[in-house]
Amino acid sequence: MNALDFLKDHETIRTDPVPEAEALVDVRHLNLWYGKAQALFGISVRFPRNQVTAIIGPSGCGKSTLLRSLNRMNDLIPGVRVEGEVLYEGINIYDPQVDPVAVRRHIGMVFQKPNPFPKTIFENVAFGLRLMGVKGSELEDRVVEALKRAALWNEVKDRFKKESGLRLSGGQQQRLCIARAIAVEPPLLLMDEPTSALDPIATQAIEDLILELKEHYTVVIVTHNMQQASRISDRTLFMHLGVLVEEGPTELMFTKPKHPYTEAYITGRFG
Amino acid sequence: MSSWQQTFGVDPWKDRVDRAFARALVLPLLLALALLAWLLGDTLYRSVSVQVLKADEGPGKTYAFGLSANEILRQELLARGYTEEEVQSALGDPRERRVLLMQNRVELMWNTHEGPFRYVVTGLRDERIADFSLLEGLRRWQELKANLKEGERLVLNPWLDQSFLTRVPSRSPLTAGIGTAIWGTVWVLGLALLIAIPVGIGTAILLEEYVREGRLNRILEVNLRNLAGVPSIVYGLLGLALFVRGMGLGPTILPAAMTLALLGIPVIVVTAREALRAVPESLRLAAFALGATRRQVAFRVVFPAALPGMVTGVILSAARLIGEAAPLLLVGAAAYVPFLPNSPLSEYTVIPVQIYLWVGMNLPEFARVAAAGILVMLLVLSVLYFLALYLRNRFRREW
Ligand SMILES: Nc1ncnc2c1ncn2[C@@H]1O[C@H](COP(=O)(O)OP(=O)(O)OP(=O)(O)O)[C@@H](O)[C@H]1O
Ligand SMILES: [Mg+2]
Repeated sequence: MNALDFLKDHETIRTDPVPEAEALVDVRHLNLWYGKAQALFGISVRFPRNQVTAIIGPSGCGKSTLLRSLNRMNDLIPGVRVEGEVLYEGINIYDPQVDPVAVRRHIGMVFQKPNPFPKTIFENVAFGLRLMGVKGSELEDRVVEALKRAALWNEVKDRFKKESGLRLSGGQQQRLCIARAIAVEPPLLLMDEPTSALDPIATQAIEDLILELKEHYTVVIVTHNMQQASRISDRTLFMHLGVLVEEGPTELMFTKPKHPYTEAYITGRFG
Repeated sequence: MSSWQQTFGVDPWKDRVDRAFARALVLPLLLALALLAWLLGDTLYRSVSVQVLKADEGPGKTYAFGLSANEILRQELLARGYTEEEVQSALGDPRERRVLLMQNRVELMWNTHEGPFRYVVTGLRDERIADFSLLEGLRRWQELKANLKEGERLVLNPWLDQSFLTRVPSRSPLTAGIGTAIWGTVWVLGLALLIAIPVGIGTAILLEEYVREGRLNRILEVNLRNLAGVPSIVYGLLGLALFVRGMGLGPTILPAAMTLALLGIPVIVVTAREALRAVPESLRLAAFALGATRRQVAFRVVFPAALPGMVTGVILSAARLIGEAAPLLLVGAAAYVPFLPNSPLSEYTVIPVQIYLWVGMNLPEFARVAAAGILVMLLVLSVLYFLALYLRNRFRREW
């Protein structure tokens, strides 16, 4: 029996599963294809409210794909087909009645590479708010609030209306992108390797930020960095070849992994 | 020789060959620049001459400051035997007024040597006695000056002067101006861009932001590039058949503008698409992730980010359109337009056509007029190129 067959029939190992009532997002039997190639195999998992969930796994295992299917960003890729359900607050976001644009307004996303718009810092953060029709002094207040929450306010407060977002350093740009995402106060924040393009100090700043954001938001973060996962996440998902191998509280995952692949991966002996 | 020299030492021969090669590569560039400089110098040289001129009639009349131009013209025409009725109807219609004034050699001048702020109506025309190239004229200046006859004077004539820019065309090179051609160019180009920019940029946005992949896009891609390479005279034929004859618009500004718009659209589409494609995908994803619709992504994020590139493309295509004479000769740029165009259905001429016609005239001094016209053309083109260059540098982005 080769590895692929083994994983396809694999039942996810769950430690301390999340009760339905605590889940903000409930993924049920999610299969996803890019054209003919299947990238996700029967994923079922719950993401608990006001906690940080980390997704780890080797490159190409489908972490980003799973993350993107939580806010229907995959719809933008031609040839993608999805089966199964993603319940957000009990509503299946893949229901034909659901507008993916509305879904994305409720769910924030931060990308691997900082991608501020070539506009001022203010306009960057205001973008999502303007889409929702926020105007005037409320707009201004909420932009400032978002910059404060993203721990960027002190660095930009005297120039944020004039300076282009592109003129910031990489770490500042990433915090700007976080501010932009949280300005609309999305209950759920998705982050795809948000620190992989940053130096250790900027990474530290963002990790601190994520821990603070937990109070208001539910965070799902993809990371390649084991230490990062153990430092900031409450729960961890380990994926391999499009399959969710094992999930559970971070501490237990890192100290007592149950599946041999999980153990191999987190101890760095994978492959 | 020690071993480090064999490994790291300078090889004088290799160095010399390298430098010679680099120089050889620069040579064609220098040659091209030299040719351009020569062309420009020659045009400049031809646009100035030394002339012996003679006033052919009595002096003009001076009217006091304060009279309106129309009043002066009215008095002048009446004095020349026109009836009150004829004068009234002529002054009512700008086109007729111009023709009448030309026929009677009446010109209004301001700010004359008799003192500032006076109107002068004059029947005075200079007649050329002799025309010398700049070098010859300067060399023989003293001799020519000594030999001047009664009523003659010797002048250094820069053909490109302020009044050249405002005067209308004329049978006489001395009074020929490029004014109507400049206005014709402004009208034709302005209207052409008014049509071509929205169509071209709209098409580019449709193809890059909405259709993206697919057969339609690939077919259009190839065809647009082909269309951009079709000789402009073919567009002239199309414009003649479609707009001038088919739609019965006649040889006027509108069909000319439509023809130039057709010529410009493929170029604008291609450059605008390149500008749109240069906008990183990550910006679109960021906007989509914030819950923007396709339209909002296209117009709030991608369009502003691509704008500098698109504007540069538009300016460069405008520069190309300004120089087009061939298609406009076909769709009826007129040889002689003694009045400024005032509507899309006016007759018109444009700068390159005017130059082309001057070059073909048999009076030798028209070569000087043509040189002055070419200088105007070059001036306009360099302004456009520097504008494009400026925009490109000013808004260059590092993503
Ligand atoms: N746009 C796409 N079109 C086709 N196939 C894709 C696309 N994106 C991802 N895939 C495929 O889906 C699988 C999972 O990719 P995904 O990007 O989700 O992996 P990942 O776990 O995020 O990897 P990494 O750690 O390198 O970012 C891979 O086999 C990949 O080749
Ligand atoms: Mg990824």
